[in-house]
Amino acid sequence: MLRRMDAATDLGPLLAAVAHGDRAALRAVYERQAARLFGVANAILRDRDAAADALQDAFLRIARRAGQYDPARGPAEAWLAAIVRHAALDAVRARGREIPTDDPALGDQPVEADALERVAASAEGRRLRDCLAALEEKNRTGIVLAFVHGLSHAQVAARLDLPLGTVKAWIRRGLLRLRECLA
Amino acid sequence: MIPADPEARDALAAEYALGTLEAREAAEVARAVERDPDLAATVARWEARFAPLTALATPEAPPPDLWSRIEGALDPAPRVVARRWLDGWKLGAFGATAVAAGLAAFLLLRPAPQPQFMTVLLTDREQPAWLVQAEGGDIRLSSLNTRPAPPDRALQLWALPQGAAAPTSLGLIPHDGRLTVRPTTIRPSPGMLIEITLEPPGGSPTGRPTGPVQFIGRLAPAIRS
Repeated sequence: MLRRMDAATDLGPLLAAVAHGDRAALRAVYERQAARLFGVANAILRDRDAAADALQDAFLRIARRAGQYDPARGPAEAWLAAIVRHAALDAVRARGREIPTDDPALGDQPVEADALERVAASAEGRRLRDCLAALEEKNRTGIVLAFVHGLSHAQVAARLDLPLGTVKAWIRRGLLRLRECLA
Repeated sequence: MIPADPEARDALAAEYALGTLEAREAAEVARAVERDPDLAATVARWEARFAPLTALATPEAPPPDLWSRIEGALDPAPRVVARRWLDGWKLGAFGATAVAAGLAAFLLLRPAPQPQFMTVLLTDREQPAWLVQAEGGDIRLSSLNTRPAPPDRALQLWALPQGAAAPTSLGLIPHDGRLTVRPTTIRPSPGMLIEITLEPPGGSPTGRPTGPVQFIGRLAPAIRS
């Protein structure tokens, strides 16, 4: 049976096949998503070898947990990216988040206003962009740095030159505002 | 400690999804998500809210040998539950031994007519969750210490004969976890895939599984003593 399977919407059925132990389906998921997901891991780890290890770890988790993917809870891309991010974050935590925060490549793109335009490719993305834009700038920057680059509270505090306690409270308040705005 | 207060749980789920929790807290949430469907749903909502931000990471081709590394890591101990049951009872994987021992104890306690085919459906942590037995044209499901479905969802049982394109619904699983059906369009046979999915109340609206597969196994000939 031949049919086009290039659309992102086909990831759901592929994951259902992965849940049945279909390794060809896992490979199809990999081929469609590897470049995007490797980028996600590398933005956090900023080390290609470590990002490859994290992506491998993530695909083993995907093989194991594909049956848990529930389309009612969101798109398959989001589910896959979350697994990759957590695999990368686990690696970062295991080495004590020693990645220097003064890396000039870090966060320069995300903090630019026009970078947020890239987020707005979908309706959900536009809503998120608008809600992030409504936050105070340091608040928004903290959330974006934490999500995209895996910075801890302490690293966000160092980068924004703010006390740790302030950053924790700001991020928590920002998350509450985001939830209200996106509701 | 995972808090009970909904606001505190939501805040914890948000920070977990954002990635700012310390290693110990993050590991605790990751474990809790496995057994707490409400927390899992809260985390999933936050992951979906943040998901568009992943567009800020620049896509980049991974090393060319990465897929073969992944495939190699999958090979020695396939962790996908379905694969374990593809090969029936003969394989010697570590989990199967424990399951077979549990099953033997279960059968000793119940000297019922021996079924022709059976399988044990495992949880994602490889704990036995359901016993499926087929005798004549009947398929009988019994719960082995299964946690109930979330309040707003139903568990639906499906059978997929080998070579069939789509699974056949065997019905919704009652709260007591016991169900015996005699499907009219299919007959139990070795290799038949049995699965349980999470569906909206009243069952799948489409006649095909729409929710995630919760448990899965393949019918194999029962061991006759």
